[in-house]
Amino acid sequence: MPDIEAMKKAQDVKGLIHLLDHSEHDIQWRAADALGSLGEIACDPLLKILAFPKVNVRVGVIEALGDIKSPRSVDPLIQTLARDKSNEVRWVAALALGAIGDKRAIPALLQSLRDGDRYLRYGSEKSLTMLGWQPENDTDRTYAFIAMNDWESIKKLGPAAVDPLMDILKDKNPVTRGKIIDILSSIRGHEATQTCEAALMDVDSGVRWKAVIGARKCGVSNTRLPLILSRRPWTTPSPVGAATLNFFFFGLGYHYLQKWYGYLIYTSFMATMVFVQLYTDVPVPFIYAYPITWIFAIQTYFMVKKMHDL
Amino acid sequence: MLPLSDIFKPKKPDIEAMTQKKDIAGLIRALRSSDLDVYTRAAKALGSLGPEAVDVLVKTLKSKNKAVKLGIIGALELIKDPRSVEPLILVLKDKDSEVRWQAAIALGEIGYERAIDPLVQALRDPDKYVRYGAAFSLAKMGWKTADATDRAYYFIGMQEWRAVKTIGKPAIPALNQLLRDRDANVRVKAIELLGEIGDADATPALMRSLSDENREVRWNSVLSSSKVGIALLHLPRQIAKRPQMIKNPIIAGFLNFLLPGMGYGYLGKWWGLLIFQIDITTTVWLFKYQGEANSYQVLFPIYLVLGIHAYYLGIKMPIDPP
Repeated sequence: MPDIEAMKKAQDVKGLIHLLDHSEHDIQWRAADALGSLGEIACDPLLKILAFPKVNVRVGVIEALGDIKSPRSVDPLIQTLARDKSNEVRWVAALALGAIGDKRAIPALLQSLRDGDRYLRYGSEKSLTMLGWQPENDTDRTYAFIAMNDWESIKKLGPAAVDPLMDILKDKNPVTRGKIIDILSSIRGHEATQTCEAALMDVDSGVRWKAVIGARKCGVSNTRLPLILSRRPWTTPSPVGAATLNFFFFGLGYHYLQKWYGYLIYTSFMATMVFVQLYTDVPVPFIYAYPITWIFAIQTYFMVKKMHDL
Repeated sequence: MLPLSDIFKPKKPDIEAMTQKKDIAGLIRALRSSDLDVYTRAAKALGSLGPEAVDVLVKTLKSKNKAVKLGIIGALELIKDPRSVEPLILVLKDKDSEVRWQAAIALGEIGYERAIDPLVQALRDPDKYVRYGAAFSLAKMGWKTADATDRAYYFIGMQEWRAVKTIGKPAIPALNQLLRDRDANVRVKAIELLGEIGDADATPALMRSLSDENREVRWNSVLSSSKVGIALLHLPRQIAKRPQMIKNPIIAGFLNFLLPGMGYGYLGKWWGLLIFQIDITTTVWLFKYQGEANSYQVLFPIYLVLGIHAYYLGIKMPIDPP
């Protein structure tokens, strides 16, 4: 066990930074706390590893920078907020910018308030409030309410909320998209037809169903619903693909359909083929096998056809 | 001639005749029937036999068969004999949640004061069905309490979340316990309420829930955390502790080098298996016609490339979002 207290007393920034990559969560976070309490002397070494490949380390670094509150870390953190690949890291960056309390961060946070990730939106809103920001118009107000998960207040805003809501439909989380469709279909007097049509083709069946229920209020005619829904992306396995696999590599089609016996059949089939080949000529076993696997391929095709979802 | 199907089908037991003869053992045997109709009628018949059946029924309550247990509890519920109360209270601690649930309902139907304390205990059951049954039975028995904690457990059992909120701070221990419920929706509800009550006592429980295995539970914990005053900057580290399926790119690369295709399989690609088998088949062919040494000269570079590819695939694998 590394003695974090002693390292803190000795101001061992290098050693503490090493511990941010420790295998134990607890030690990682105690090291982050210690670095945060060291103040300015830890700031530059931390900024140097702001692009470390491991997500957990970046989170620890940014937490410490949020505690140090150095004005020098504001610009690098704004860069992280805008560019980091991990939404988790961007989330901490948003929270840290709020904790540091430098108003230069406001434009960047306003940008991330409109992000597709709900954690990032939430963090941005919290930090904007900490920096003394107030929404100036209904658009910003709607984004803020979305970020706070405050769906009831959005309803009261009426048509002004429609555009931001449609924008946040880009959220990858189906729960958020479902909520938005709920609200869009409760607000009257707006043109959201295209968005509703997009929601009817959502990958998530829950969102699609909500869109069907709200379709009339969105101005999508009932008669067009089945047509639009039939255009949804294909989430079930392809029947032709499974059948082809089972024809050439018997059992692999079942494996692709996530049946437990797929692997078993496939290995037995291929082992048999290999053994027979050792004693006969190469193509011989396949000449006998393919007429049989053909039957299974047809069976597989109809098996998948039955698995349709709406 | 007897139809073939009749030979294999066991004869339906004659419940009426058994009831007439007061054949308790026979009726209990009928409880093992897979036919729901036979089962229901047998349980009802046992209930119609009145107090004289109670001793035998209570004895059979120790049966290992779940269906028999449930049927007997149902019968005892109909007989409403005071002698069955103590044994049913013991059943409230059964390891099967359906049996506990049925016992909680039965105790409410029988309605003796003696059952009240054990039912109040059953409100703390880990299973929501048992909690609901116990709360319902307590309501039926006209139970009232001044104890705020017990009342919180009661409303949780009844799923009356608004009422739980009005209790406020004394409800926190009950809600904390609810965070261990197996149903994620229940956990989400408890977290919402802890946030609405907004007391710092909920802090440790919410901190734990931030690394819950369920995505919506984690998200709602974030929303509630700020309402009870948990420092926002420390939320990400709790979320980072969540159980994650992280695949090691080095393992993927190594596997793919030794057993081409298996590295892809480890990364969750279904076609890994296909490549593995193609490799084995090709290797066998090559061995037969080219000899071992020559084959390895061809195969080794390919394996190396496949290994490196799996390694990079592992690095590029998207991380599960929080």
